[in-house]
Amino acid sequence: MTQKEILDELKAIIVERLKFDPRRAAEMTLDTTLPKGIEGSLGLDSLDFIELSVAMEERFGIVIDEGQDLADEFRSFDSLSRWILSKTA
Amino acid sequence: MSASRRVVVTGVGSVSAGGIGGTAVVAQILAGATSPIRPVRAFETAGWPSRLGAEVDDAALEGLLDPGAARRLSRICRLTVVASRLAVEDSGVPRGPALGLVVGTEHGDFRSSEEFVTGYLKRGPSGLSPMIFPNTVMNSMAAVAAIEIGARGPSITVNQATVAGDLAVARAAALVRDGRALAVVAGGVDEMFAHVYRRLSEMGMLSPAAGRGTEGCRPYEPDHNGVVLGEGATFLVLEDLESARARGAVVHAEIRSAAWGNVPVAPHTAPRRRRDLHSPALRALVSAGVAPSAVGTCYGSGNGDPALDDWELGLLAADRLPEPRSLASRFGQHGGLGALRVAAALDRLNKVALSPTTLVMVHGLARGGCRTALLIGRAA
Amino acid sequence: MTRVVVSGLGVVSPYGTGAKTFWTGLASGTCAIRPLTAIDTEGFRSRIGAEVPADVLASLGPSRRRARADRLAMAAAREALADADLSPTDRACAGLFVGAVGGGMLEAEAWYWEETRTGRPSPRIGALRAILPSTHAETLSSRLGLCGPKETVVMACASGAASLALGLDLIRSGAAPLALCGGVDALTRVCFMGFNALRLLDLEPCRPFDRDRKGMSIGEGAAFVVLEEAGHCRARGGRAYAELRGAGMTTDAHHVTSPEPSADGMVRAIEEALTAAGRAPGDVGYVNAHGTGTPQNDRVEALALARVFGPGRVLLSSTKSLVGHTMAAAGSLEAVASVLTLQHGLVPPTANLRVTDPEVPFDCVPETARAVELDAVLSNSFGFGGQNVSLVFGR
Repeated sequence: MTQKEILDELKAIIVERLKFDPRRAAEMTLDTTLPKGIEGSLGLDSLDFIELSVAMEERFGIVIDEGQDLADEFRSFDSLSRWILSKTA
Repeated sequence: MSASRRVVVTGVGSVSAGGIGGTAVVAQILAGATSPIRPVRAFETAGWPSRLGAEVDDAALEGLLDPGAARRLSRICRLTVVASRLAVEDSGVPRGPALGLVVGTEHGDFRSSEEFVTGYLKRGPSGLSPMIFPNTVMNSMAAVAAIEIGARGPSITVNQATVAGDLAVARAAALVRDGRALAVVAGGVDEMFAHVYRRLSEMGMLSPAAGRGTEGCRPYEPDHNGVVLGEGATFLVLEDLESARARGAVVHAEIRSAAWGNVPVAPHTAPRRRRDLHSPALRALVSAGVAPSAVGTCYGSGNGDPALDDWELGLLAADRLPEPRSLASRFGQHGGLGALRVAAALDRLNKVALSPTTLVMVHGLARGGCRTALLIGRAA
Repeated sequence: MTRVVVSGLGVVSPYGTGAKTFWTGLASGTCAIRPLTAIDTEGFRSRIGAEVPADVLASLGPSRRRARADRLAMAAAREALADADLSPTDRACAGLFVGAVGGGMLEAEAWYWEETRTGRPSPRIGALRAILPSTHAETLSSRLGLCGPKETVVMACASGAASLALGLDLIRSGAAPLALCGGVDALTRVCFMGFNALRLLDLEPCRPFDRDRKGMSIGEGAAFVVLEEAGHCRARGGRAYAELRGAGMTTDAHHVTSPEPSADGMVRAIEEALTAAGRAPGDVGYVNAHGTGTPQNDRVEALALARVFGPGRVLLSSTKSLVGHTMAAAGSLEAVASVLTLQHGLVPPTANLRVTDPEVPFDCVPETARAVELDAVLSNSFGFGGQNVSLVFGR
């Protein structure tokens, strides 16, 4: 998969599972930040991240170890998609 | 424990098929003559025994929600959040540890339960949405509304058929009287969900039950033949009188007493001739120190369910209370009705030229025997 | 202030039927969490829980046609009323407060699963009549002839405790001299799947307060108590196990699943209960913790206790380490545990506790019950969604 393809999948997850407006999702880019607390981010909290993780496991066939601290990886679509690429390579 | 705390109503917030707003809007809806009951639009009812309902205008509801903040809220949570916020704005009651919340509901969030299990049935364990799971527990509406209005006192969800709203108001009055909160936002909510509507219809609970007569909501009338469902959320703000006065709140009326109890009949039944030896209506009168003759108007929970209507009429007559009026045809049967009837009582007390000592009773009765009585009077 | 006593106990737990059986299990520190059999757990990460054994269920009086949760509730409620030795007249004025969440969902799921999988209507549809949490109160009030205020309280994991708090208030207000209060939850697929999906379940039996804890274990059960005005109990020659001295009820209003990190909501509930009980923190020798075993709950609860009592100033243990998290029944099962702890002067242990988390600066009574003379016990129930109830029991 390319990073762009992964981004599209992540956007689909954001809409289907995290209930974001599709029009808003269409405008999201690799630079879009995710976690609550970062100005201009999507404002995702812990519950959103669990949902996102479950959806990512299903969509990309990866296993996310919840013991790991993945704060950096979950910071933006760019960091997240790169991380997924590394796990699916 | 102080027996002297007095409980008053300082605000109303309502979302229903009749409209959305606070005290003034609810008064307007009550003053109008139209019923919002019409063929259901939100889902297909072809082939089902019933097809009528009183639906909330979704566009109007969405207009009152910030899309970002409401993103994860299920529909019934949206109804609850908007109505409770409207009530708090109407009343001006402050947020904090002295503010409680009581939410009554009959069906809760079945929509979310269905969505949750469907994820599993279609795609196995990975199809489950962790985000939806909290909504499968009936207290989720109270949890999100408490966050919305900053209620950090007790927040309680009560589940009860037919009179969930009445029970919530009675429970809230007790919380204020018992000193657990200075103010409590109290009322009920239900939404129309296709699966619930269909099953109730097939079980013969909805008009036209047994296929007899025309479909419609005709509480207490000789040709009543079942319930017509509605949806929505209505909340009142109940407050300790001293506290309300101290902050200069508008006091609409006083809840002079609130009582509830049970007639021990078999679940789901409404035996017309069963008498109540422990009538909460009489207890409410005794508690307020008045006779049945002091009650000028009675709002009943009768909603067109023939057995329940008849049983309620019998019980009220036995207690020598006035013949009840129903609001079911104005809003459809749903958990918010009890609070709407209290709102109607406030409206009546403040509009009609009644003697200052005349009281209004808001009476509730459900299949299975849950019985509630709220005695409402002008604020002195 | 009106004094309210506990005059009857009734329990169905993963150990079996009866308050005595429950106490024997707790006192021996026996962990009842094992692979689940009542529901299909294939494909899920955590597959264990504390079930009411099949033979125990089969032995319960109420008909097998009834929903599982209803049967548990009936058995426990009946035992409590019999234990209190109440007359029909007494019952007639009793209030009824039932903490419930799942209701008859287990049987409704079976119907829905069948209908969805076969594509045809299933005869199990009758289960829908008993699906709501309010079902139990309907069943109990009609079968047991209860005419007082009837209320079903849904407060997630704090439901069972809330029912006692509301019963206490009712009796203190003078509206009724007694009340049957309790909670019930049977296993459901929704609950099992949901906590799995949220990654809140340990794959092994839960280890509350342990440094290496990984999550909860689910359970099922029912517990009811008779709360009674002390004078009324004395006058009829009833027995008082303990006094329910105070209750606190607060809301975090912070997040739908996570507790407020500062522990403010929990602290307020505990302090409200202590104040109502006329007790200072130093009077309490033991806390029956909410103690679910999740990293978050235990940390925030320990913080709350440290703020109220001071580090190391009170014993605590988790009943959930022994019988799992029984959801709506938890608060009432733990109330019974608290009452029996006072009565026997024996603190039940926290099972599976090997190394206490350094962030939990308390003696959590690992593995073995401990004899301690106690005057007052605090029982905490902190529900999903930030709804907190604390109860203070005294001798």
